[in-house]
This record gives sequence, C-alpha cells and structure tokens, in this order.
Amino acid sequence: MTADKKLLMTRRHFFGAGATGLGTAALASLLGKDLRAEAGLPGLPHFAPKAKRVIYLFQHGAPSQLDMFDYKPALKERRGLNLPESIRMGQRLTGMTAYQATFPTAPTIFKFDQHGKSGMWLSELVPRTAKVADDIVLIKSLHTEAINHDPAVTFFQTGFQIAGRPSIGSWISYGLGSENQELPAFVAMVSQGTGNAQALADRAWGSGFLETKYQGVKFRSAADPVLYLSNPTGYSRDARRRYLDDLAKLNELNAKDYQDPEISTRIAQYEMAFKMQASVPELTDLSTEPASTFELYGPDSRKPGSYAANCILARRLAERGVRFIQLFHRGWDQHNNLPKQIREQCMQTDQPSAALVQDLKQRGMLDDTLVVWGGEFGRTVYSQGTLTEDNYGRDHHPRCFSMWMAGGGLKGGVTYGETDEFSYNIAENPVTVHDLHATILHCLGIDHTRLTYKYQGRHFRLTDVHGQAIRDILA
Amino acid sequence: MTSPLPALLLAAIAVSYAAGPVTGPKEIEFNRDVRPILSDKCFLCHGPDAVAKKIPLRLDSEAAAKRAIVAGDPAASAVIRRITAEKPALRMPPLHSGLKLTEVEVQTISDWIKQGARWQKHWAFIPPVRKPLPQTNDRMWAKNGIDNFVLEQLERAGLKPSPEASRETLIRRVTLDLTGLPPTIAEIDAFLADKSPNAYEKVVDRLLASSRYGERMAVRWLDAARYADTNGYQFDGERNMWRWRDWVIDAFNRNQPFDQFTMEQIAGDLLPNSTTAQKIATGFNRNHRANTEDGIIPEEYAVEYVVDRVETMSAVFLGATLGCARCHNHKYDPFTQKNFYQMFAYFNNVPELGRAMKYGNSPPVVPAPTRDQQAKLDALIGRIDSERRLIENNASSIGSAQKTWESSLQTQSPEYWAPSGKLTGAFTLDESGTLSVAPGRFGKATVFDGKSFVDLGHVGSFDIEDRFTLSAWIYSDTKPDGSIISRMADNPKGKGYGIHTDNGKVHFNMTSVYADDAIRLETEDILTPKQWHHILVTYSGSRMASGVSVVVDGKPQPVKVLLDTLYRPFNNAGKPFVQSFRVGSGWGPERRFRGLIDNVQIYGRVLDTNEIAAMSVGLSVNAIAAKPAANRTEAEQRQLRWYFLEHAAAPEIRESWRRFVQLESEREALERSFPTVMVMAESPIPKDTFLLIRGAYDKHGEKVTPGLPEVLDPPSGGLLNNRLGLAKWLVDPNNPLTARVTVNRFWQMRFGAGLVKTTEDFGVQGDWPSHPDLLDWLATEFIRTKWDVKAMQRLIVTSATYRQQSKAAPELIQRDPDNRLLARGPRRRLPAEMVRDQALFSAGLLVEKIGGPSVKPYQPVGLWKEQNMQDGDYEPGTGEDLYRRSLYTFWKRTIPPPMMSNFDAAAREACVVRETRTNTPLQALNLMNDVTFTEAARFIAQRMMKEAGTDSSARLSHGFRLILGRAPVANELKLLQDNLAYHRDYFASDVDKAQSLLQEGATRADASLAPQELAAYASVASLMLNLDEAITIQ
Repeated sequence: MTADKKLLMTRRHFFGAGATGLGTAALASLLGKDLRAEAGLPGLPHFAPKAKRVIYLFQHGAPSQLDMFDYKPALKERRGLNLPESIRMGQRLTGMTAYQATFPTAPTIFKFDQHGKSGMWLSELVPRTAKVADDIVLIKSLHTEAINHDPAVTFFQTGFQIAGRPSIGSWISYGLGSENQELPAFVAMVSQGTGNAQALADRAWGSGFLETKYQGVKFRSAADPVLYLSNPTGYSRDARRRYLDDLAKLNELNAKDYQDPEISTRIAQYEMAFKMQASVPELTDLSTEPASTFELYGPDSRKPGSYAANCILARRLAERGVRFIQLFHRGWDQHNNLPKQIREQCMQTDQPSAALVQDLKQRGMLDDTLVVWGGEFGRTVYSQGTLTEDNYGRDHHPRCFSMWMAGGGLKGGVTYGETDEFSYNIAENPVTVHDLHATILHCLGIDHTRLTYKYQGRHFRLTDVHGQAIRDILA
Repeated sequence: MTSPLPALLLAAIAVSYAAGPVTGPKEIEFNRDVRPILSDKCFLCHGPDAVAKKIPLRLDSEAAAKRAIVAGDPAASAVIRRITAEKPALRMPPLHSGLKLTEVEVQTISDWIKQGARWQKHWAFIPPVRKPLPQTNDRMWAKNGIDNFVLEQLERAGLKPSPEASRETLIRRVTLDLTGLPPTIAEIDAFLADKSPNAYEKVVDRLLASSRYGERMAVRWLDAARYADTNGYQFDGERNMWRWRDWVIDAFNRNQPFDQFTMEQIAGDLLPNSTTAQKIATGFNRNHRANTEDGIIPEEYAVEYVVDRVETMSAVFLGATLGCARCHNHKYDPFTQKNFYQMFAYFNNVPELGRAMKYGNSPPVVPAPTRDQQAKLDALIGRIDSERRLIENNASSIGSAQKTWESSLQTQSPEYWAPSGKLTGAFTLDESGTLSVAPGRFGKATVFDGKSFVDLGHVGSFDIEDRFTLSAWIYSDTKPDGSIISRMADNPKGKGYGIHTDNGKVHFNMTSVYADDAIRLETEDILTPKQWHHILVTYSGSRMASGVSVVVDGKPQPVKVLLDTLYRPFNNAGKPFVQSFRVGSGWGPERRFRGLIDNVQIYGRVLDTNEIAAMSVGLSVNAIAAKPAANRTEAEQRQLRWYFLEHAAAPEIRESWRRFVQLESEREALERSFPTVMVMAESPIPKDTFLLIRGAYDKHGEKVTPGLPEVLDPPSGGLLNNRLGLAKWLVDPNNPLTARVTVNRFWQMRFGAGLVKTTEDFGVQGDWPSHPDLLDWLATEFIRTKWDVKAMQRLIVTSATYRQQSKAAPELIQRDPDNRLLARGPRRRLPAEMVRDQALFSAGLLVEKIGGPSVKPYQPVGLWKEQNMQDGDYEPGTGEDLYRRSLYTFWKRTIPPPMMSNFDAAAREACVVRETRTNTPLQALNLMNDVTFTEAARFIAQRMMKEAGTDSSARLSHGFRLILGRAPVANELKLLQDNLAYHRDYFASDVDKAQSLLQEGATRADASLAPQELAAYASVASLMLNLDEAITIQ
C-alpha cells in the first residue's frame, strides 16, 4: 500500500466517524511512525535496486558440494587413499571424525556433465537445475567459520554464530519495509527431507535485537498456515467483520480519551489481521493453479508442506510483494549412506528449485527476484565411516562449499570461485558468508555498511564489520 | 503528502532542550551534549581502541584530545577544521564510515569549545551523588522525593503534571504492576469505598505482601538471567533449572536485600558455610545455553559459556557492554580486551563440560529438595536415627547374644552374607545349562571356554542415569582376558554397559555411540592369574567417568579414563534398548571369557564402602565366626554383625534393624527423587585464563588473573581475586553502577522505559538519563535503605509521578511523544505473560500455585515436530497445567511458546534487560483465535451470566469490570449491547455454531446455561479481551 492510501485509511479512522479529538500533529506523528514501519528506513534503498525481493532456498543440514556441484575428476585416481596432510594442514575436524584413524578419499559416484552455453559442470543429481544453468551463477568458493549445524545456520542467517542477532530477512524488512498491506514482509517455511535431519531454531527467522515486528512469519502446512489465523469453528467472517467494527469503535472511544497513537496502530493491526485471514488462505490455496504449474514443479508439489509446494507458494508470495521469502528444507546431513540419501533429497529438491527459476522467468519476475540456493557448510572429501564401492559418508566441511543464485541483478551462466583438487581448500575467489550477505543486500539496493541498528551502544550490521559484494557476478 | 518528519524532529528537539534553560544561550555540558556525539561519530576510530589501530588522535580522553582542541577557540581547533572541511577527502567522519555529523552536532561541539571545552569523566563511572531535593514552585504536588526532581524539570520546561488517575485506573495499574494480575472487583470496590487518606498506600502494602509480587518480579529477572527449560543450540534437550527459578520468586517475596540477592547469585557457593539455597542461587550463572551437538569442539563452547556469563553479569549489574571487548579493546568505553579476560577469569574456574549433557543437567549440580521434600527427608532421618539409637542402646546385650550365636554356628552349614537392599539379581552359577561347572569360590562356579556364555535374560536393565553395582568373582589360568558380565550388543563397540578384562586389566564401558558418546575406563593394575578375584563396579548415574568406581578384592582401583563423553541414554528417541544380561560375553565372539566365574550380583544402587568391603571378604559367616575375634578384619567383623542383626538377633532388634535398612533405602530413593540444579563451583585445580586473541578459543595471548576495569576504580588489595570478591564489589556502595542500573530497571518496569532508556548500556554510547539527579537520588536511596527492593517499589508507585493519569492533551503528546518528561502517567501494553495471566484470572481459570516443574499449556500442534530432532512433538499438559501463570510455562529456547514470542517476550537465548513492545497483526490473531483466549472468554461469559443477574447491562458491565477493572460508560455499554444483540442473532440461527464455539478448550461449557446465549456472551467477552485497554496498563 502506498503512503497516500495509508493516510486515507487512517484518516477514515480518525475523521470518518467524526469522533476524534486527535490533533493533526499527533496524527502526523502517528503516521510517521506507521510509515516508517511499512516503508522502511528513510534513505533506503541507498541506490537503485535490481531486485525487489529475495527467495532464499535454504538447504538445511549442508548438501555435499562434491556430489552435486564441485567437479573433481582427478579424485577417481585417489579413491581410498588417505587425504594428504598437505591438503588438510591440520585443520580442525568435528569430534565425529577427529578420532578416525584414516581419511580415505571418497570421489563422488555421480556423473558430471557440462550444461548450458557456459558449459557449467553439474552432476546427474541435479538434471533440472542443469537446464537452467544459463540463468544461475554457481559459487564454488563459499566458506564459513562454523563447523557445527546450529552455529553455522545461525551464522548464515544472522551474520554471527552466537544467537541474539537479527536474521537476514528481518534486517531487510527493517530496512526496506513491506511492499504490501495484506501479508507480512518476511515469510519463512519449513519442509521435511528424507535424510538425516537436524533441528532448526525459530531464531533462523527471528528478529534478534530488532523489534519483533520484523521477524519472519512462519507459514505452515497445517490447517492454520499462520498461527491462530482461523476464527474458531462456528465463527464466520461476517461475524468477525462485525466484531472488528465494534472493537474499533470501542478502541476509538478510548483513543479519544487517551490520545495514545498506539491505540490507532492497534486498530490498524486488527484490520491487517482481518485482511490476512482472507489473503493467506487465498495465497496458500494452490487449487487455483493450473495443471501446468504442478507439472513444472513436479509430482511432490501437490503435497501440501512439501518443498515443491513451498516453492510454488514462494512464487505466489513473490507475486504478492512479500519482500523476503525463505524456505528451509531439512535432511541434508549425510554422515552415512550419502549416495542413497542425497539421491532422495535431490529427487525432492532439484525439480522444484529449477522450476521456480523457470517459472519466475516466464512471468518476467526473475529480473527483480533474487533466488538463493544453499546450505550452511559443505561436506568432506574423505569418507566418514567405511568407504565402499557404492557407499560412503561425509562429515561437515566449512572450508569450501557451493551455492547458486539466480535473477535479481546477477549474471547468468557463471561459475565463480575455484577449490583445490580435493574440494578441501579454496583456490581462488573465496567468498565469505558476509560477502554473500553484502551481495544480497546490494541486489536490493542496500549498502551493507549503512544498514545499521544501534544496540548496546554499537551500530550493528548484518555483516558485522566485514563483507564485500561480489562485484564479478553482478550483471 | 508532506513528510511527517519535521514534526517529529521538532518534538525531539523540544525534549532534548527541555533539560536546559528554556531561553537564552544554552550552556553545553560535555557529558550530556558532547560526549554522545564524539562517541557515536568519532570513537569508532578515535576511541579507546585507537592505540590498537595505530591512530594517533584519541578523543576519548582529555589529555589526548588536547592536540586537536584549543579551549575557547573553535577556529583554531583541528577537530572543528576537520568536521567542517569542504573537501570530502579531509572531512571527518570519512565518507566510507557511513557516519555523518548533523549541523546541530557540529554547532554543539563548536559551542562547547568556545565555552572552554570543559571535560568530564563519563557520568556513569562516577559514584552517584545525592543532591538535595530541588525546590519547585508548586509545593503541593510532590508526594515523595521522586516528584521534586520530576516536577522541577517539568517547571523548567513550562509544563504541569497531569492530575492523579482515577481510583479505578490506579488500582488496576498498580495491581498489575506489582503482582502481574488485575485487581478483583471486590478489591476495586474496597478501594473505592476507602475514604482514608492513605487508602492507596494500603493497597500498595497489601500488594507488596502478596506472594504474587514475587512471581511478577521474577519474570523480568528470568529474562535477564536467560532462564529456560532447555539447553538451546541445536539439540535443545530439557534441563531442570526450576529450583533456581523458585529461589528467585522466594527471594523477592521475602524481600531479600538486593545486595544479598546479588552476592548469593554470583558467589553463593563461596559464602562461608553456604546453604543449599545459596548454592541454588548460583544457578544464575548456569542458565546460559549449552551445546550438546555431536562433533563440537568442547573447548570452543566452554569459552562461549564463560563469555555469556561475563556479558550477562555486566549487562545486569553494571549496564556495561563488556562483551564488546572480547575481540579487541572496546570501541567506545574505556574497557580493554585484557579487562574483558580479567572478568572472564572470575567465571572460568568451573568444573564444567564444554559439550553439555543432551538431556538433564550438566555438572556441576546440587540436589535441590523442595520444602516438602526436605521436610520428608528430615522426618526420615529422624526415624533412622531412632532405630540406630535403639540398636546402639542395646549394644551390650546384642554383643553377648551374638557371641552365643557365633559359637552355635560351628555345627551349621555355611551361610553367606550379602547386602540385601535393592538386590535385583543374584546368580550363584552353580549350574549353567550345558556349560560345565567346577568347584568355585562359593560352592561351584561355571567354566567358560572362550566360546560359550550364559544368558541371564532381562536383568540389570539400567540406563545411564541409573545407579547400580555389579559384582562377580573370576578365576583364570592366564592373565584374565575377555568379557565378564555385560548388557550390551555383543561386539566391542556395542551399545550398553559391560565389565571386561583386557590383557589382565579390568575394563568398564557404558556406550551409547562408540566413537563419541561413551564412558570407557580401565584399571592401571593387572590381575594375577590363577587366583580368585572379586571384581565390583559401582556407577552413580552421573554420566561421568568420575561416577564409576572399580573395586578389586575390596580395594578401589586407580583407573585410566579412555573416554568420558556419555550423553545419550540407551533407551533413546522412544526406542527401547533390548539386550539380555550375559556372563562371559559382551565384546563379541572373539573376546569371550576363559576361566571360572562365580556369584554374580546386581544391585540397583551404589553400595557403600563398608558393604563393598564386607562383600569382598568371600568367607561364610561360619568361617568368620570360627576365627578368634581379635584375628578378624574390620570387614569380617562387620559382616558378622550384619548377618546376626538380620537373622539371629532378638526379634525386636531384628525388627528394628529391618526397619533401619528399609528406611535407609527409602532415604536413598527420596534423595534420588530430588530435583537438581546446575550451580557454580570452583575447580580444585585453578584453571589458567588467557587473553584470547580476536576472541578465538584456541588463540591464547597473555595469561591474566581476575580483576576489574581500572575506570571503575576498584578497591586495591587481594579481595577481588575470586567471584566472592567480585560479588562484594558489585554491591559495594562505591560501585558507581549497580544501584543505578538496578533502580533504572525497576523504573522501566513501572514506566515502560528507564530513566536511562538504554537499560543495557550505561556506557558512553548509552542514552543520557532523562532525569540524572533523580537517578542518582534513587540509587543512593536504594543503598541507604540497605538495598530494600520492596521499599524501592513502594517509593516509585506511591510517587505523584506514577499516580498521574496517562490521558494527555494532543499538545503534550506532540511535545513529548515518548513521555520522557513524565508530565503524564505511564501507559504501556502488558508484557506477554500478563496478557495471558490476566485473561485466565478474569475467567477464574488461573491456578495459583507457586513454583514446581514447568508446565505445558496449549500450543498449536506440530510446532516442535516440524523443527525438532527425534524428540517428537510438544505434548500439552492436562488439568491444572493448562492454567498456571505464564512464568511456569515450559520454555524451549529454539522454539519458544508462540504466544509469548508474539507479544515480545525475550527469547531467553541471551540476557535481555530492555523491555520492548510492538503492535502487530499476529497479536490480533493470537488474542482473537488462540484457544487460551477463546476458552477464557467462555468462562468470563459464564461469570457474566451467573454472577450478575439476568439483566444484560449488568452482565456486560460485570464482564467489563472483570477485564478492565471499570464499568463501561454509556456509549461503551451501548456498543456492547449492540454487539451482544448481533451475536445473539448470529447464534440464534444456528445452534451448531454456538456449540462449536463453546467446545474451545479442554473444559466443557456450563451445561446449565443456554448454549446460544452463552456463545453470544462469549463472543462479547472475547471482544472485551481484545480491547486495546484490556492489554494495556492505562
């Protein structure tokens, strides 16, 4: 909703009923407050944004770069050989493999091929992603400081390993505000994979020290897509309308007495809630989608709550102007039986992820929507547990891993960064988590050094005191 | 439209200038006006960390800043030249910093230099000075000292205080503020009827005496102390800290002075003769999150825990952001990185695990009996003592009877003694199916050939938190090798426990996952071949190697711990662990026992040393009796006496002994049932603390010892070398911060914002106090009254300032939107817990019971499951558990109770001292549709219909009063009537709709009331609960 419409709406509340003693100055200050909440910070965006919104497909548990994205043909020769100390360089390992006697090199069993005009190397696990190779930029040189899931996810989500800071989506809704009046600015969704799942904390979409209104609203596949959305059984929308009208009248009487702008804000929030009661079910009702949509996103997409269904929802949210949409798909933590597990995970995720890119593109939305795909770290080249002909496991590996991004101001068909021959260390163009954040913000027209919030005396940033947008991949 | 900003800006300027004279040239005060600018815009580079960054100019100290500031001459001052420079390349702050000075800020700095550039130490680091109460023009308004300060500022700003709030408003405000619950109608009526001049003060005293007060005060302390019922991080398993939570409630209720309250929480364990309660208090510093994830590096997280303690302690008591000096010197405040690690050193000497226990509490812990449990224990001990005395008093007759009995033993067949309490399995192995037997240590023993084993079925099904004792006798021709007894999957890495021999050493394991979730240890000494050995292992249920004791032939053995990281129970994630108890097997077919095994005994408790010594004697009582008394060992003597008391003493003595043994086992069971609480303790061998370079756990810099930042002028001498010294200093009257920071938080509880708005930061980046002299006066008053917390609450809520109405004229709202000048009463939304508690209370549903384990009220299905590990979903409680006060709601850190999160509750992952309030659509949905509130609405409807006659006006007014504490005015009543009429109509057409609505919640609707009518009233009650006023303290 534009500022002007907002003014009108509020005006109706105050003047329409002819029942207000609120002075214009108070109204102005009330509006100022509201406008800031919805329109974001003054002065933002800092420069013309390429992307208006972000869809972040978080692959929770850490997908193996070696089996999907980071092609290392030479490893075949080294199969079963101990990882050379010259490569490991005494780097710390998790407690799960630190006591392992040997570190047998485990080349992937999956075939890689070149795809698209750029000849991007991708494995057979992601055939659909391969079809959109020319639309994506594959970054092979991400690295992180964390070695365990919870701190690593927290780092990706908040720019810091220890809990307490705002998530990326809440930073963005704080900075840029909302584009719409009927849905939250930041929506999170969780889906279940088939493999080993790790726990996911609410803080992943929390607002940390920012006000809680900036936190992500979790959409669920339950009867209530948003908590407490539905009226009690037997209570109709008409009844709720009448209820809210009377509630507003009573609240206005009190507002007249107390002059506290919070009361008017409360009235407006109840209106927003009422709108959400209609807009969210409409949004989450996929029955209006044509059959072609389900064909595009794959058979899973008819199952509510699946990753594929969430990808369709992500597109629908994007269409409705939701600023930051984040999917979390669990089950990538493949310490054992990786080949079987990753195959199943990819069956669930490859088609819908690629479909989302295609779908946005065919609707002309890929230009101003940034899609991000990736997990919290990578996986080791050496096998965790016994290496056999067709089976191996991989432990956590923070020193290099792959992600891909698409749309929203980025080049397509680009592979960025390189790792060593073991996919153990980064060989060129390292990208930190802060760099990734800076890049995402950059696409949204935000200078990451200037999106700050003062707390405990410090001007906090999503990127802490680090980070640089990756210029080479910007279109 | 025009931007609303100018109006806001004007208001802000009006406020900031209000503190100074209204007209005439403003006198600049460094602390109030200049330092905030320098700090915010310059200190990042030219601040305390400039040295490390090799930047020559520092603006945080007077001496250093002289090079760029010429007092009285702005034009000659380099500072002014640089901040006004035309050329972007010369201009400060530099472009890349993202910082910018406003014109007003530049002018302020310039004026200050012109006025002489007078420097001041940061106000919060100077101990508070108690100024005399200011004189005010209005001599009538002030009710206590607070008001003089507030009024003085109002008069300077040309404002008048607001009139006192109505009595109905006042009693609701103060009742919610002091007890967290609204007043009852009877309480309101009594107050309205009380014409005495101190009627209000009487209400306040009644509220302060209520035990609800402690519950109310505790909640904010739990936020600050990041109290929760789970460990946080990834796995987020349950822990038990509720005994600490109950200690806090109790401390507030008995009005423990704040200095004691502080001392006990920081160093209760170090107080002379510290009590259990004082140890429980130290749980404050163990409430931080704890990581249990597989594969973490324990040292990394051990450091995080200590960092968390420093950050929490400094935020809560000092209003200091010491955590900012973890990786480098503080950018704004005069805290060095070394200062941080000196603070760190106070909290670094805890014998704790970096990787915490997945379930339950992690050491160090203490048993923390509740009052009831303690009373039961005392009674049991009394009864045990009286049985003991009975036996002692009859010592001589028992002795002579025993002698007679001993001589009679020679003619009888041999009898053996063994402890009887909690014996869960005893196997003589005199015959073992197809296995052959041979003469054994006692009668016969089973012969093991390195292949066969004996399966004893399902005995000894202990898990990792159980206590047990295992005992067996073994004989081998060679160095014993192979499994003796076990209950584990039959392979060396199998899950379960077992005693084995490995090349002559005794090896014990408790294994959940072989690699990193197990205890393994072995004796240092080697067993002698061709000799019977008594092997006994006790395990205390502690999940730690230190809880295992290996005893060979009655002698406790030195052991080598091979692994000490047991976290997961054998029965895990709902999957029961099924293995039978085997003799001679457990390490797989390769490592079966060769030799003889005799008399296997299994106890469900830890035998004491005397019992163990007696067991290892290995002689029949007859044989012992045959020895001359002087030749018997102490253990033999004891064994004989015990056997006699059990079997052969006079009937009344036997009975007394039987009771004694029985009571001892009851005592053990009772003590086992005590909740524990994680506490602070000091390692016997002090740990070294190092400065950590860039804050990294593995990058040691110089070694440091405990100490305090110099800027806070700590007393010299050795008093400060441990937590007790630190605790004493925190509450030393010369400490500039603790009293200020604490009264400021109390103020925040009553006014929605502190006098210093940044309750978490009293450093140079913190906000300037709205009423500096008042803050200091309150701080000194707090110390003067010996840190009397209730007296401080009383002082605040009986002030005229607090009692003002919160209604205001639009001009005042415009002039001071945030009410920093306090020309009106505080109006703020209820904190999360009160939103729910009030609804339950008004409904008559609230179950008031202080303390106890946390409970699980309603929560939407599936929330845990969709984000959890294997632990399944949230299981809501039943009955009373659904209606307890919200401070007892089970708090899972990674997935907090959604209603609490919606209403801005602190997440409890880290210390939070600032209260925040937002206003969102999710709150609206929550209040309208959450079963908590729809059920409460039905109960309020029932109360309307049953307690207020038959007239709908009276009924509606009653409901209104139950929730808002006042009767509706005419046009409100009219609206309510209309709404009721609408809902009557709505439900009249469809009784099913009414029935569905009435089914909300675990309770049934009152069947004596017509469902359609009840549903209509319930709908109006819901509307009342959703009023802004209902969730607001007006």
